[in-house]
Amino acid sequence: MKRRKFLQQSSRALAIPVLLNGLPMSAVARSSVFNQMNTDSDRVLVLIQMNGGNDGLNMVLPVDQYDGLANVRGNILLPQSSLLSLTDTTALHPAMTGARSLYDQGKLGVVQAVSYPNQDRSHFRSTDIWTSGSPANEFWRTGWLGRYMDTQYAGFPEGYPNEQHPHPFAITMGTAVSETCQGIVANYSMALNNPFSLAPLLEGEPGTLPNTPYGEELQFLRIAISQTNAYGEVITEAANTGANSITYPANNNLAGQLKNVALLIAGGLQTRVYIVNIGGFDTHANQVAAGDPTTGEHAALLAQLSDAMAAFQADLQALGLEQRVISMTFSEFGRRIRSNDSMGTDHGTAAPLFLFGSCVNPQVLGESPEISAEASLDEGVAMQHDFRDIYGSILMDWFEVPENDVRSLLYADFTYLPVLRNCAVVSTRPEPLADATVQLELFPNPCRDWATLRFSSLREWARVSIFDTLGGEIRTLSNQTFGEGRHEIRFEASDLPPGAYFVRVQLEGRAQTKRLVKL
Amino acid sequence: MDRRASIATLLGRWSEKSHAAAKVAAMAVTSGLEPYAGPWNREQAAHLLRRTMYGPTKAQIDAALSMGLDTLVNELFADPPAPAPPAYYDFEDDPNVPNGQTWVDAPAPQNVVGLNGARARSLRAWTMNLMLDEGVSIHEKLTLFWHNHFAINNINDARFNYRYIQTIRQQAWGNFRDLVKAMTLDPAMLRFLNGNQNTNVAPNENYARELLELFTIGKGPQVAPGDYTNYTETDVAQMARVLTGWRDRGFNNGNPVAIEAYFTNNRHDTGTKTLSPRFDSVSIPNMGDQEYAQLIDIIFGKREVARFISRKLYRWFVYYDIDESTELNVIEPMAQLLIDSDYEIRPVLQTLLRSAHFHDMLSVGPMIRHPYDFVFTLLKTTGVPLPTDSAQRNAVVFRLFQLVSTMEMAYYNLPDVAGWKAFYQEPLYYRSWVTANTLLLRSAYTKALAGPGQVYNGFRLRIQPLEWIASFDDPFDPNLLIEEMLRLLCPQPLVANQLVALKEVLLPGLPDYEWSIEYGDYLADPTNTALRDAVTTKLRNLITAILGLPEYYLS
Repeated sequence: MKRRKFLQQSSRALAIPVLLNGLPMSAVARSSVFNQMNTDSDRVLVLIQMNGGNDGLNMVLPVDQYDGLANVRGNILLPQSSLLSLTDTTALHPAMTGARSLYDQGKLGVVQAVSYPNQDRSHFRSTDIWTSGSPANEFWRTGWLGRYMDTQYAGFPEGYPNEQHPHPFAITMGTAVSETCQGIVANYSMALNNPFSLAPLLEGEPGTLPNTPYGEELQFLRIAISQTNAYGEVITEAANTGANSITYPANNNLAGQLKNVALLIAGGLQTRVYIVNIGGFDTHANQVAAGDPTTGEHAALLAQLSDAMAAFQADLQALGLEQRVISMTFSEFGRRIRSNDSMGTDHGTAAPLFLFGSCVNPQVLGESPEISAEASLDEGVAMQHDFRDIYGSILMDWFEVPENDVRSLLYADFTYLPVLRNCAVVSTRPEPLADATVQLELFPNPCRDWATLRFSSLREWARVSIFDTLGGEIRTLSNQTFGEGRHEIRFEASDLPPGAYFVRVQLEGRAQTKRLVKL
Repeated sequence: MDRRASIATLLGRWSEKSHAAAKVAAMAVTSGLEPYAGPWNREQAAHLLRRTMYGPTKAQIDAALSMGLDTLVNELFADPPAPAPPAYYDFEDDPNVPNGQTWVDAPAPQNVVGLNGARARSLRAWTMNLMLDEGVSIHEKLTLFWHNHFAINNINDARFNYRYIQTIRQQAWGNFRDLVKAMTLDPAMLRFLNGNQNTNVAPNENYARELLELFTIGKGPQVAPGDYTNYTETDVAQMARVLTGWRDRGFNNGNPVAIEAYFTNNRHDTGTKTLSPRFDSVSIPNMGDQEYAQLIDIIFGKREVARFISRKLYRWFVYYDIDESTELNVIEPMAQLLIDSDYEIRPVLQTLLRSAHFHDMLSVGPMIRHPYDFVFTLLKTTGVPLPTDSAQRNAVVFRLFQLVSTMEMAYYNLPDVAGWKAFYQEPLYYRSWVTANTLLLRSAYTKALAGPGQVYNGFRLRIQPLEWIASFDDPFDPNLLIEEMLRLLCPQPLVANQLVALKEVLLPGLPDYEWSIEYGDYLADPTNTALRDAVTTKLRNLITAILGLPEYYLS
């Protein structure tokens, strides 16, 4: 898409906030850069949804917390010698050799402890939150990508596909459309199992439909049928034109899905978002095999994931498509820090996620989660990064959405995270403040009625808040701009019940979370 | 789409209430649970039967018409005969059970190759046959409702699945509280949600959470950390403790061990459990193997349970969209009825099916058929013959099971514990059945059965048009013929230009009387193959066209 058209469309669809506030300077500055670039956006985002709630602590291990882990999940803990080291403080599950090699090639980024305030531990509700990008206490019926697409493609689905937009905007590999692509009126994603078997369907008789629930559902069916036909043609054409350049691992359903994604991109399909799925992460029991924690259900899933990621990236590289595609994993929540008696783990809070591709920032963003030997039974990994900051940063850097629009699409407190780099980043920001660390200190810890928090910032916005062990953001101590230097905040804890809490400091582009015990 | 929608709407930040208003203002159904007092003719009878069974035939609709609404609703709840248990139809290698005999109480020696698979096929074929042979009864659709409600999957011992589904079948319109108690100790459920691993040493809260969130009271908005309005994380944890100590016995066991749930006191948490203020901070002392029942009684003390199950029943039998008026005029009175009848299911469902709301013209037709409904309606309404040989019939209906599975609905293998998305996932609901994939599969199925047929295990499943229309009121008149087919297959009448187009399919460029002549010629000489083939081809074209209409996808 031409940059100019994007701006025209976005100013039409998102006219209200922009006009109310006046065009913000940052947006002006950025759009002048875009005008010079004048690129047809052909960028593709691939989402890998890991259904069931992935045990992040068994995927990206905080090796500096190994003693804590041994105390609270000794029955399922991987032997330290088996781990695949990433940094001094983090390592991957031994089954993830493919992911490890991506990291070595500078194509894998890890974001630590991703979640949202007030974690909901229901699969369904939390999946809805992750797919819609809503706050935990609001019910949004649209998906985060669907809302973005609503600003781009006026009137969808009526009148689509058309000459300007002949291809489906999003494709879900599988049989159900993805809630991430739900727009106000329709879902932008098309569910597709086999790109080679799309035979035309009988289309309904056009005509006016009654203004009734029956009429509405009939209209939905008619559009679905005619779109399936129209998109079916271009998909079949792309599938027949494209070709994979490598052999994908056998007996790996996820790899099979990604293989088709690569095929369609190679075949010239202009679809911008693909969603693939891998299920089975709800490992309440038998997460690891008794006697050998390096094997078991979770190990098998991680091997599948990692093998599929590596194969897909190798294919894209061989096809010369690497600069056009980034991929991201997500799961509805992480699992409990303590394992259970069934060689498994129950629903928890935050977990790490992966971004991969040659355009991602190949780093481990954030610090190891703090694993206390005293972790309570219900304690989850505390959140460091808000998932909406990752979504928003992708929208900005990959789909060139102005920051102000990102705030409207996601949330007002959005803060940019440097998860992409080089080929991807079109942001005009100065290089992120990564080396300006937060240096969060808490004392006394444990505390009785109050504690002092100290952290460092540049001249920038900071949100300082307190979370409980379930992931609830129970108090916001500060949400404002600070000057450059070291700051001190007093946290009054006298009214809180004894137990563990987490202090989180979110600055621009980085965050830190620390555990605080109240006696 | 309405581009004038406010920015808040554009961004999806609408509440439950504003959604109803923002929905492109389709006419709202305002009638409630009061008895239906309008006319009773074919349309009403057909609507009621379509929603309560799979593919009513013309004869069944005619009989329903003469019965009247009250009698028909009673008839739908008449006790069905207890079916014979599933038997092997293609397996000779079970050392304890010959082919043709039932395996439901036999051991499951795991060293016998193919035994588990043969039992799984047998159970599924048995289940398909029950749906195909349901008669005029709500029993099968209600059984599937509960299967969706108490979802399970991947329990790879068919005896467990059989026991589970029998519990549901026997209590389908019985007492909801009793059914929840039975499901809580059901061996398949104990395995599926790890209840069998829930102990005093390490409680596993999987079942406790779903018991609240999905089976009884439902989850309200999160109003504080860990507080979901109707219950809190504390309740999940405390209830998990209540449910400790239960295990299942006999799974894939090769010895004659009865399949059952059993209680072990030393795995049970004998401490006092204290629920949150959402459950009035009630304490549950140690009651051993009776504690679970006490807990379920406590949950059922909350009115929200009645509302929650009423909404689910409504979404299964009426429509997914519950607006303010429906909440007030249908759900609330349904909940009251449930409470008044101590959670008996039959009275509330009978009242719903006799209500003005259910028979309101605006309730007719907006339900996108789920895959079983889609596939079986065609078979049953048009009277597609099935094999008479029992083994072959089982093999063929098992293939139907596989076909429906590709359309995303598989008995005994729900996608997850929440059941099929069509019945809970906003905003798509029923629409989630419709994807490029499933559309193609559905279309291929109707084209095959209306056209050349689908061969399964040497048997050709195929609509027999002449046999079907022989029962019609006036098959000689092409207009009435088309009308009757549509009345049987589609929920609402088609518009005039669609009728013209369909007649053009039956009689391309010919006057109406040509049909009467050709059909008359055939009837006068029914063994004449040329005459028979001529009218059959025309009818197949017509039926193919009707089944391809999006209108057939609706009920």
